[in-house]
Amino acid sequence: MALIRVENLSKTYITGKNIETPALRDINLTIDDRDFVALAGTSGSGKTTLLNLLGSLDKPSSGSIFYEQQNIAQLNEQQVADFRLNQVGFIFQAYNLINTLTALENVEYIMLLQGVPAAERLDRSRDILKRVGIEKYINNFPNQMSGGQQQRVAVARAIVARPKVILADEPTANLDSRTAENLLDLMLELNQERQTTFVFSTHDPMVMDKVKRIVKLKDGEIIS
Amino acid sequence: MNNTFVKIAWRNILRNKKRSLITISAVGVGLGALIFIWSFAEGAHNQMINNYTSYVIGPVQVQAKGFQKNPKLETFVKDSPAVLNIIRQNPDVAAVSPRIQAEGLMGSSDSSMGTLVIGVQPQLERQVSKLDQRVARGQFLDEGDDNSVIIGKDMADNLGVDLQDKIVFMSQALDGSIASGAYYVKGIIQSGVTEIDKGLAIITYSAAEELFVMDGKPSQIVVQLHSASKSDAVAEQLRQALNNPDLEVLPWKDVSPVLQQWLDYDNTFIWIILIIVMIVVAIGIMNTVLMGVLERTREFGILIALGTRGRQIIQMVTYESVFLGLIGTAAGLIIGLGSSHFFSRTGIDLSVFTEALNSMYMESVIHPDINFKYVWISSGVVLLISIFVSVYPAWTASKLKPVDAIRSI
Repeated sequence: MALIRVENLSKTYITGKNIETPALRDINLTIDDRDFVALAGTSGSGKTTLLNLLGSLDKPSSGSIFYEQQNIAQLNEQQVADFRLNQVGFIFQAYNLINTLTALENVEYIMLLQGVPAAERLDRSRDILKRVGIEKYINNFPNQMSGGQQQRVAVARAIVARPKVILADEPTANLDSRTAENLLDLMLELNQERQTTFVFSTHDPMVMDKVKRIVKLKDGEIIS
Repeated sequence: MNNTFVKIAWRNILRNKKRSLITISAVGVGLGALIFIWSFAEGAHNQMINNYTSYVIGPVQVQAKGFQKNPKLETFVKDSPAVLNIIRQNPDVAAVSPRIQAEGLMGSSDSSMGTLVIGVQPQLERQVSKLDQRVARGQFLDEGDDNSVIIGKDMADNLGVDLQDKIVFMSQALDGSIASGAYYVKGIIQSGVTEIDKGLAIITYSAAEELFVMDGKPSQIVVQLHSASKSDAVAEQLRQALNNPDLEVLPWKDVSPVLQQWLDYDNTFIWIILIIVMIVVAIGIMNTVLMGVLERTREFGILIALGTRGRQIIQMVTYESVFLGLIGTAAGLIIGLGSSHFFSRTGIDLSVFTEALNSMYMESVIHPDINFKYVWISSGVVLLISIFVSVYPAWTASKLKPVDAIRSI
């Protein structure tokens, strides 16, 4: 069953003196519920742009993105914030944890915005941090953890709020291969355990080996 | 939820301790200086009021209606014993002293000059004014010194007289006759106030009664209070108690509006300083918060990407300003109140300006006086400013586009 349906999606950036730089051209794509899919391509292929549009971090120049039949390209500011809060989880290449919060507080943050009661929030955060193998570091701040540990916290933060889809932008790019493989295995397990859809943007062959489906992009177009 | 925003805001302040400390110091020193300036001005103003009222005019005066505008002998207080009796019944009244006041010509063998003569009852006058304490040479009047006069130093110099020398006063008496009397200089006042040192002569009340044919007809009744700051309230109470349309009860600021105008003028300058300090404080806080926001563009982008709403971002940034403002205000209160309290005990010695200070009814040593009304106003304004200046940085942060913000370094 389709969770996300992209129709005729284009994104053009205007840079400098009205110079138009097309990043995506007429993309049509369907992502199914519980999918574990990679948007693959070289640098500049448009994979991160597509991922940002799927997560409503950016607005398309034209076309539609249907998330469970709702066109998220037409949401207003408040609705976009709600969508990001409740439907999507993000994992960034540079981890992007909040530096002033501990691992536990980072994981709690989204649930806190969702209004989850404190006790439940704490239980779920501890459970997920244990699940991703960070239980020893729950009171550490991001700068007190390694890259792999931070990315595990980022995975925990993305999944703990129970979104239907997690968008991961080159999550293994800053990790060594062993840590990257462990993390991918963890995400695959979570995909199976929790039926969470994962969409990666990547050019890492290891990620492409692990995913169930690969969508290849080149110069802003899907080539396979 | 607010707790987490408070936590983030607080930790952001701790994240750049040096910058936060500089901002807190700017706020603290600014507010501290302001509180101290208010206290210094309050101390100086109180000194001016006390000296001004205690030298000659007193905190409250009771006069016949019209005397204030046009002081002449015919405008005297009728039935003065009864009036004095009513005034003395007020619990805030410490002492009362009737005076006769007239203008005339004072002359010596060498020179003559216009002067204001007041006739006082020496014992009572000591209770309502400090004129006796300003006698630099010789002595103040005693009861029965009906042939003696106290004059200012400048007048003595102008007339070319010294202690024990004879001077003559001429004016017109109440009955229209020539009022003329010869007096020996018993004391010379040196107050530093030009009007007193140059233009005032003091004789006994009984001598003035005889000179001006004013038996039992005082020109004014000077009222000394236990607390000079109650002058307005006591004046109103006496007005009601006397209930006499032929009398005017005037607090010092109505007897001599010039001083009040000067104090108002001085306060205006303090308000200008307040505004300047506020601008400095505002720029300091805004600089810190704005720098903090710009530095954390990426972090705000992440927060927005995670679903944080614009108003929550505004809340978070505002908390930072409030924290800076609160800590800065606390530091300012400690600095301002501490320094004011310390100098209120030791005094600030400005002897190098003695002459100028005395001419403005101030003394060489000024003791700051903390007026909490101004402390709360200054602190409140600093706090409000600290919240107000966060609006722009907070709004800027709330409007960031996550995709651009996350890309920024």
